[in-house]
Amino acid sequence: MARTSIRSFLPWLDVVAIAAWGVLLLYYWLSEKLFLLIHPNYIGLTVAAGIFLLFVSGLKGLFLLRSSRSRQPSAPIQHMTLFPPGLGSLLLLTVAIAGLLITPRAFASQTALDRGVTDAITLTRVKPQSFRASTRTEDKTLIDWIRTLQVYPEPDAYTGQKAKVQGFVVYPPNLPEQYLLLTRFVITCCAADAYPVSLPVKLTTGDRKSYSPDGWLEVEGQMLTETLDNKRQLTLQAKSLKSIPEPKNPYNY
Amino acid sequence: MTQLNSAFTLFLSLLVEAIPFLLLGVLFSGLLQFFVDERRLLAILPKNPLLGAFTGSCIGFLFPVCECGNVPVARRLLMQGAPVSVAIGFLLAAPTINPIVFWATWTAFRDQPEIVFLRVGFSLAIATIIGFIFSVQTDLRPLLQPGVASAITMRSQSADSTPSLLQSGTYFLGQSAKPLITDPSELQAAMMATVSKPMSFRLRLLLENTVQEMRELGAVLILGSAIAALVQVFVPRDLILSLGQSPITSILAMILLAGVVSICSTVDSFFALSFASTFTSGSLVAFLVFGPMIDLKGVGLMLSVFKPRAIFYLFALAAQLTFILTLFINLYIS
Repeated sequence: MARTSIRSFLPWLDVVAIAAWGVLLLYYWLSEKLFLLIHPNYIGLTVAAGIFLLFVSGLKGLFLLRSSRSRQPSAPIQHMTLFPPGLGSLLLLTVAIAGLLITPRAFASQTALDRGVTDAITLTRVKPQSFRASTRTEDKTLIDWIRTLQVYPEPDAYTGQKAKVQGFVVYPPNLPEQYLLLTRFVITCCAADAYPVSLPVKLTTGDRKSYSPDGWLEVEGQMLTETLDNKRQLTLQAKSLKSIPEPKNPYNY
Repeated sequence: MTQLNSAFTLFLSLLVEAIPFLLLGVLFSGLLQFFVDERRLLAILPKNPLLGAFTGSCIGFLFPVCECGNVPVARRLLMQGAPVSVAIGFLLAAPTINPIVFWATWTAFRDQPEIVFLRVGFSLAIATIIGFIFSVQTDLRPLLQPGVASAITMRSQSADSTPSLLQSGTYFLGQSAKPLITDPSELQAAMMATVSKPMSFRLRLLLENTVQEMRELGAVLILGSAIAALVQVFVPRDLILSLGQSPITSILAMILLAGVVSICSTVDSFFALSFASTFTSGSLVAFLVFGPMIDLKGVGLMLSVFKPRAIFYLFALAAQLTFILTLFINLYIS
């Protein structure tokens, strides 16, 4: 008898597990957490998948309800080929619930250091396609600066230009206390391929201890060339540093 | 703690990115089953092993699925009685030889078009060669999971005696109280003859099929993504990357990275692009060719079709061929 009740319960576990994934995908979309996980280009696909999963789950539930009323065996008994009965759905359901409970967080300085933020060359993967020469340099984002550098890497060419950029703080282990790295992550597909790009910031007063790692800053200042770690690098000399809240969409593309 | 949260975020991002593609794959697989008479499609496939392997490799162009989606289709092709060479060719080449992946690779490597063409060419060549090699084993059943193997057995039996239970819908729904089919693979096998059934019946089976495959392949995807996320967060990338600067070790490092990262073939070219400045062209091609064929996530999915021994053969052949071809690029061309 107990076996029978477990068996009749299993198809419902499928319904709940699939619905949970539909809900998770749509919840991430509505709470704008999808931005933390994937590139905006794929959001439409994910939302469509969420809706479709809910549809599949609803349809399956409807059939189950109908067949239980008419007391007919609705479908053949389902056995896993890979997992014991119910385990696959249970795994799906558990992860979906964990996803609803635990908030995914944007990557921060630890990941940036792990992913080589201090490497010699920071390059962006998508090559710049065009430039507007008239752009005010203060309007350039951190990524714009890195892309500009990629096309013409001579730091002296930018000396004296004004800049205003946003990013989070990373302490570079190989630079003196006076410097910090203002960093952004760039993603091309999903968080799995996020890579950091950064610009060294030279503090004019005090040291970096007043700005904790992972804190978001808006830095205004002027560009200059510094020799850091035996390399000539474009560095932002800070005039003002303002703490800002973490943006809703912390990545760049 | 930060590390754990990073791992969880990575894990979720892989899943959120992969599930729509998995769903697409399952749907394509199901639609192929219900609305295309595969027996007719299979009948026109060439019987010659080499041509068959090549055709199988090219079928991917009809099914724009990545490596999460090609396994169910390949499994179904096998159960439908496709020649071994066709199914293996499809399994290995479909994630790469399809319009979406071609377009994505082109976007990423627009200024190095040779990488796009080398990727396509090498994938085709390797899939065809491995399909041809596997076709030597005329009876693939000892290498398959029991469920898939028994579906093939049932098929060959039903081919011998035409009025078979398999060709009857009543068998499937069962007149007796005792359900007759107890395995999803057998369920799929039973559904092979459904093209002639009424539409409502077919749609109902399509639903059952989608639910079952999502559950089974979804659970495997979760395990694979968990491993990929843990390795990415807890093994420093520097360690993997420091292995490779020379023509030989860069290829080995990239093959290893491709196997570990398990990134979907529709998007892996962007991932590879980040190494374009530091790695040899040959090793980038190795990443793009080998990753879609075999990776941690994919091995999990392949276990639903093959026994571990067969997966090891596939892995060894694909790795060696990729290595030889891309080493040639590194030494003689770039």
